[in-house]
Amino acid sequence: MPSPQNPTVGGTALDPTSLRPPIDDAEIERVERDALRDRLVGLRSQGMAMLLDVGAADYPQREPRFDVVYHLLAIPTKVASVAEVGKPRRVRLLVGVPADDTTLPSVADLWASADWAEREIFDLFGITFTGHPNLRRIQMPDDWEGAPLRKDYPLRGPAREKTPRPAFPLKSNVPAGTPPSGKVAEALQRQIAKARNQEKPS
Amino acid sequence: MSSLVERTGNTMTLSLGPQHPSSHGVLQVVVEVSGEVIEKADMEIGYLHTGIEKSAENLFWTQASTVIERMDYLSPLSNALCYTLAVEQLLGITDRIPERAQQIRILMCELTRVASHCVWLGTHAIDIGAISNFWYAFDIRENILDLLESAGGARMHPNYLRIGGVNGDLPSGFIELLDALIAKFPGRMRELRTILQNNPIWRDRTIDIGIITPEDAVRWSLTGPTLRASGVAYDVRKAFPYSGYQNYDFDVPTRTEGDAYARFLVRLDEMDEAMRIVDQVRKALKPGPVMIDDTKLAAPPKETIALSMEALIHHFKIVSEGFRVPPGDVYQAVEGPRGELGYYLVSDGNNRPYRVRTRPPSLYNLQALKQIAIGNLIADVVVMIGSLDPVFGEVDR
Repeated sequence: MPSPQNPTVGGTALDPTSLRPPIDDAEIERVERDALRDRLVGLRSQGMAMLLDVGAADYPQREPRFDVVYHLLAIPTKVASVAEVGKPRRVRLLVGVPADDTTLPSVADLWASADWAEREIFDLFGITFTGHPNLRRIQMPDDWEGAPLRKDYPLRGPAREKTPRPAFPLKSNVPAGTPPSGKVAEALQRQIAKARNQEKPS
Repeated sequence: MSSLVERTGNTMTLSLGPQHPSSHGVLQVVVEVSGEVIEKADMEIGYLHTGIEKSAENLFWTQASTVIERMDYLSPLSNALCYTLAVEQLLGITDRIPERAQQIRILMCELTRVASHCVWLGTHAIDIGAISNFWYAFDIRENILDLLESAGGARMHPNYLRIGGVNGDLPSGFIELLDALIAKFPGRMRELRTILQNNPIWRDRTIDIGIITPEDAVRWSLTGPTLRASGVAYDVRKAFPYSGYQNYDFDVPTRTEGDAYARFLVRLDEMDEAMRIVDQVRKALKPGPVMIDDTKLAAPPKETIALSMEALIHHFKIVSEGFRVPPGDVYQAVEGPRGELGYYLVSDGNNRPYRVRTRPPSLYNLQALKQIAIGNLIADVVVMIGSLDPVFGEVDR
């Protein structure tokens, strides 16, 4: 019996939409990669005017490995009151992306907002969006290697190299065992000697 | 960018930022200008990227909200509320959250909305050259932060909300402080409005600057005050009520002009509406428990630990390994101060979130600058950035 204490699936081979508890948060659809753009265009013509977000998730043991998730919202594209907006329809579209061919068609021409969202997935998951006008890293530096939000990317990098030592020798120029000198040191020595003398049983 | 200024033909490419006082964080805006008029604008973000989503995936469900609060650092409680509600959906305990906990959540979130708008108002006005209202706005914010501190223990990131309720009841003296704030607020708002709303310089600087039509607003996925200043009255609190917002009476302020001045007015009206909700919640506050009655999710009270073996075990389990959440995915949205703040969570049935994806309203709002900057003057870039109110902790995460 699956329960919160006794999960049935290993994490990395998960299909969350097939296992989810009944939650009324959106209409969920899973589409094939080839049908993605047609489906999005179709939904947009049905009034799903806003592409709220594009996200991704990585399931390394699963085929296809990645899920790219499109959140759509049906909202009027004109001046509208609260009553006219009402309770807009939400649609969540999931598309699988296999590990050996991580490409998806871009929708940046359909929704202007997809520009940065797709760049972020490219940056953090390494999924390429064909047809994107300006696909380059957005959060990480341009010369970064790897896709940080993939599950096989470590949380922490390798231990940082030690700070390079300066070229000159770091040895002290005072030989070991030399008694300290100077007024402060002398005062210290006197105090120590005094303390030692007091410790002696009289 | 190889250099900060490049000339090609009649246009000049100019880099504003990434270290610029008006960007409220680190944002580089690269503008192509002909004379003083912007012909093209592009932005470089990511200077503040800290991998919060990745960090959250490696913490317990409860611990993750500490890093999540640091995304939108001006309204930490909206972030925490959204995440908490999403986890509660997955756990299936949404209906079991005590009434008082929900009231306190709304109270706190509306107070943070006011505090966040105070920062926006103060800094936005400073960008344009109006200094004095900063002190009036930050005075209100200071009172609110005192309230947050008394309840949650910290001013900026109280981490007060818990999965299943809130962390402890309101302390003694809180209600008195709150009443003082509620009494003082209308006068302060009047002063703020007097300083700016009909100020000829302010109007000159903001009216007809950065106009966004409703079509464009939807195309760029704008939400929150930015969308409502363009006339589309979409508010998550009205469209998809959560935590009992349907029980309170409030309006959704909208304008149709879609310029920086309209966004300014919408946010001012929103502050009034937020305080209206706070006032109603304060009157409706009923005594009762503030945490779900489920020892698998909520650690039992500390006093019981010395007396009950069960309590000790539950406490140890929750502290040392957290709790598990049934597998599945969920999208939960709340109305943050900047718009629809959403969390897409995936659980694999473990004690840590499998995937935490934020829908950051600031990122989408800021992106629209690429379009609205065109045709405006360089001097107005700071007005437009300020009127979009981005928070870079959230843009870069």
